[in-house]
Amino acid sequence: MTAIEIRNLSKSFGAVRAVDDVSFTVEAGTVTGYLGPNGAGKTTTLRSLLGLVTPDSGEALVNGRRYASLDHPLNEVGAVLEATSFHPGRTARDHLRIMTTAAGLPASRPDEALDQVGLADAARKRVGGFSLGMRQRLALAGALLGQPKIFILDEPANGLDPAGIQWLRGFLRHLAHDTGAAVLVSSHVLAEVEQTVDNVVIIAKGRLVRQGTLAELTGNGGGAVRVKTKDDFAPALRAAGAEVEEVEPGLLRVKGLDAEEIGRLALDQRVLLTEVTHERSDLQSVFLELTAEGERA
Amino acid sequence: MTNLIRAELQKLFTTRLWWAMALVMFAFTAFGLAFLIAQAGVAPANGQPGLPALDDPAWLPLALSFASGANIFTMILGIVLMTSEYRYQTITGTFLTTPKRGRVIAAKLGAGVIVGVFFAVISLLFTAVVAITAVLIGGGSIDLTAGRVPQLTLGVFATLVLYALFGIGLGALVRNQVAALIGGIVWAYVIESILGAFPALQTVGKWLPGGAAQALMNIDFDTGLGESNLLPAWGGALVLVAYALLFALVANLTTTRRDIT
Repeated sequence: MTAIEIRNLSKSFGAVRAVDDVSFTVEAGTVTGYLGPNGAGKTTTLRSLLGLVTPDSGEALVNGRRYASLDHPLNEVGAVLEATSFHPGRTARDHLRIMTTAAGLPASRPDEALDQVGLADAARKRVGGFSLGMRQRLALAGALLGQPKIFILDEPANGLDPAGIQWLRGFLRHLAHDTGAAVLVSSHVLAEVEQTVDNVVIIAKGRLVRQGTLAELTGNGGGAVRVKTKDDFAPALRAAGAEVEEVEPGLLRVKGLDAEEIGRLALDQRVLLTEVTHERSDLQSVFLELTAEGERA
Repeated sequence: MTNLIRAELQKLFTTRLWWAMALVMFAFTAFGLAFLIAQAGVAPANGQPGLPALDDPAWLPLALSFASGANIFTMILGIVLMTSEYRYQTITGTFLTTPKRGRVIAAKLGAGVIVGVFFAVISLLFTAVVAITAVLIGGGSIDLTAGRVPQLTLGVFATLVLYALFGIGLGALVRNQVAALIGGIVWAYVIESILGAFPALQTVGKWLPGGAAQALMNIDFDTGLGESNLLPAWGGALVLVAYALLFALVANLTTTRRDIT
């Protein structure tokens, strides 16, 4: 069964169409990055998925069901939303104890979850004194309480220091690849998720711009090929319809032909190539390119 | 449901507000009782005493009825039980844990009943200890089964429980904690006091929660403003039950469909 399924989801707030006909799925054992600039509709999508917001049309399902119809939601889905949602006068452990009680989970879970996110030492401290990073860890501990197989995280890296982000990456990969969980993680900063995600869904202005595997997306970034040769190859490439830029002597940047076409041309021209590489524009530029596309549309 | 009510009580008892409320309640009740003891049987220069004397059997029920003055505190706790969820956005986590929102509201109302009962017990105990001591020192005798004592006790429980529910309903409706607190206190102290104090206005006041509670306890306390115009005790009880249902309905309707963003 598909762990997370969003089907033709739309939601408006007043005149603002926050989410417009968005569809995608997340399978077990994978991490999907849900990317887009601030205000793109990521949070609204995730909140619809979690039954906090009622969509105008379309469906958002977890394990094939609406979240609001789940009898034991914490056992199926762990969610991390904004980091401010704690009572400042309550201790970290009490916060988790309340969730544990309401969900009917074993009383040992709060301490285990705090241990798992590295907050055991702060268990009996009031949340009011926590840093943003500690709050994010506490929110994650809350998501782990019911040992679910689906995780939905909204900007979980916000406020984490570099070490914290590093830790989070490893943790999310562990959840998906070692425990087989489906992980959906939103972010507006690509660098945070680039090394974590298997799949990417990009949204801008409420509309889905692109989705695919990380490799598919990065492989699609402009199509330039870098060619190293000591021979004078540029005229032949231009004659074949390519756009050629001489980056430095012996290094050409070719657009309009792929590596195979260039190789074949070199063979015909008896030119020796020492290197042919597809230029992998990194995800960041793909992201910027795609989201800009979405904004123009 | 038991789990959810327990969780709601944990929410209240894991923050410091509840014992602050209890302390203020003790101070408030002590202040009222001190006045009642000081003025007991004291007559103005040329007239009847305004209050019965300590050895008058009418004094103890009057003193016990002061325990219902704690209603303001259960109302505040009810308001906070609801509005602090919005103030600190813990409502998100609450609805993630229990997405069937009607169950959350039911649990809060259940917790409100328990809070009301808890405060009624401590308020009554405190009042009883002080009042009985005063009566014994004043040379009176104690009969807790006599007069309106059992009815008064019931009335205190009903009032404190009802105001907790009222607070929850009000909090669900207003959601802004400060606005709800000010609104609730103005309601209980200003509007209900005025409409309940003057017999001419009691035609309206007797239908309000405060007037109905007064009717249930049948506190016939001559304020010098004329004869009270209250519902019969059973009528007061029915009105209180109707209010409790109304607050529950309000809390439910304003909460179940709203988007949490």
